[in-house]
Amino acid sequence: MAKQSNLAHRKLVTAAFLVVGAALAAAALGSCCVGKYPISLQEIGRILTGGEVEEMTRRVFWNLRLSRTAMAVLSGAGLGLAGAVYQIIFKNPLASPDIIGISSGANLGAAAAIVAVSGAMATVAAGAFLGGLLAVAMVMLLVRATRSLSTSTYVLAGIIISAVANAMIMLLKYYADSDSELAAIEYWTMGSLASVTASKVLTILPFWLVGFGGLLLLHRQVGLLSLNEEECRMLGVRLRPIRRVILLLSTLLVSSVVSVTGLISFTGLIAPHIARVMIRRQNTQTMVLSALVGALVLLIADILARSLYAAELPLSILTTVIGVPVLLWFMCKRKGEIA
Amino acid sequence: MTPLLSVEHLTSGYGRRTVVRDVSLSVQRGEFCALLGLNGCGKSTLLKSICGLIPVQGGICAVEGEDCTHFHERQRALKMSYIPQRGSPIAGKTVLDVVLMGYNARLHLFESPGRSLKQQALDTLGQMGLGEKADLDYAELSEGQKQLVILARTLVQDAPVMLMDEPDSALDFVNRNMVLHQIRTIIHTQNRGGLITLHDPNFALAYCDRLLMMKNGSILTQVPLQTAGRDEIESALSQIYGEIRVLQHPGGFVMVRA
Repeated sequence: MAKQSNLAHRKLVTAAFLVVGAALAAAALGSCCVGKYPISLQEIGRILTGGEVEEMTRRVFWNLRLSRTAMAVLSGAGLGLAGAVYQIIFKNPLASPDIIGISSGANLGAAAAIVAVSGAMATVAAGAFLGGLLAVAMVMLLVRATRSLSTSTYVLAGIIISAVANAMIMLLKYYADSDSELAAIEYWTMGSLASVTASKVLTILPFWLVGFGGLLLLHRQVGLLSLNEEECRMLGVRLRPIRRVILLLSTLLVSSVVSVTGLISFTGLIAPHIARVMIRRQNTQTMVLSALVGALVLLIADILARSLYAAELPLSILTTVIGVPVLLWFMCKRKGEIA
Repeated sequence: MTPLLSVEHLTSGYGRRTVVRDVSLSVQRGEFCALLGLNGCGKSTLLKSICGLIPVQGGICAVEGEDCTHFHERQRALKMSYIPQRGSPIAGKTVLDVVLMGYNARLHLFESPGRSLKQQALDTLGQMGLGEKADLDYAELSEGQKQLVILARTLVQDAPVMLMDEPDSALDFVNRNMVLHQIRTIIHTQNRGGLITLHDPNFALAYCDRLLMMKNGSILTQVPLQTAGRDEIESALSQIYGEIRVLQHPGGFVMVRA
């Protein structure tokens, strides 16, 4: 009987990965086609095989569409993986990287860059990246000062740092020029892939790779951190250093994404839930599947963002539209599920 | 002969509050010892200090003659294992995955357990009578089965010293007997050393080799059950439990209220 259930479950996992993988490939192709300057599948085929196409089409494909698609995949996968890791190590189905202040920190960094330096994309991205890292560094210092080992200290410290960051953002907004700067600050919090270029993708790629690869390599430690602290330590997990490394890797991952895209809501929260419901497990496979689902959600959101309306819509509106029904469904189904 | 586990003049507590005062004890190979005492007497604190979960304020705790007070978690996990009162809630993991967690201290940080370790884990589950359950979701098991899975995880961790903090507290009468029986069998056949805290002295009388009576953070007396007579056991137990009687029956001793 056990053999049978094992086989059935393996089939379920394979099916889940195949379905999500196929949908992801289709969405990625679609994402390369859709936009103000549509490109057909035939044209993409010709570009890739070195056939005849208009110069303009070629340039749009290589410079804008492909990098935009790649960035959507990197962002979604990054947020999906980080979300899964956070939900496991904070033992909380509502945890996301925001919980230790990454978003607020990145937001503050971006706002400070806009007000104090300039609205240039590179400056804002650098500000957001540093802001995210700095916020998490502050959280870790606070936790260290309390000499506490429990995860809830991280959550509390995250709330404190987020509150301080938000107050400073308000102050910046108050002094910001209401025509240009204030709009830029607000717009940044809604997320967008509209201004993605190949050079931006290549700049953040090393950080993304370190974060993503590092978390995957540490997958077994992530699983052990799902136990309570005492049990985890008695199984030989060096709690302080391991947890710190995992939080730093995920911060690197999320900051690298957010610095280019601005804040993207819900993706990091719902992707792990979808993955978990699909394969009914909470393990390394769930982490990987959550990354794939995150990429899929973001690709779909981005395709809708540039095709629903004449002007581009902010990403977070669409990720929320996709995310809320999923969360509602999860809320209704939850009785007795993973608590 | 050096004892497997030896604790000398151990003092520990929380912050400035001292809970365990100058405790010395030792556990031999193949010996299953019980720490008995009332709520708040410091038995859990003593156990956690030996585990290194609480920083030690003074004294030594050595396994096979090697002081491990200042070991970090990974080094310590090779010397001693721990079964908590009630395991962490584990969701979405198979029984086999839970057992495989026991190998953590023996693997590199990035390494996953290979085929032979998996087979060994399956064999250990089989030994607990749970071979059929390996691929089930851990959360679907009964409390007794869960505690047996945690025991299997402890076994694959393969540390010579086994520490247990009321591992039976969530179990019913049948499961409690089954789990304690398994623990005792393992300690005796595999020559490990066990130290367990228990609330019910009758289970200690039925399964353990030696009783350590604890009160106000110190160990009052020790009773080796193989050689002790009814009177000795009764006077030792009454120091903690007050007005009690110890009765002898063909299988051993039981404690009742006087």
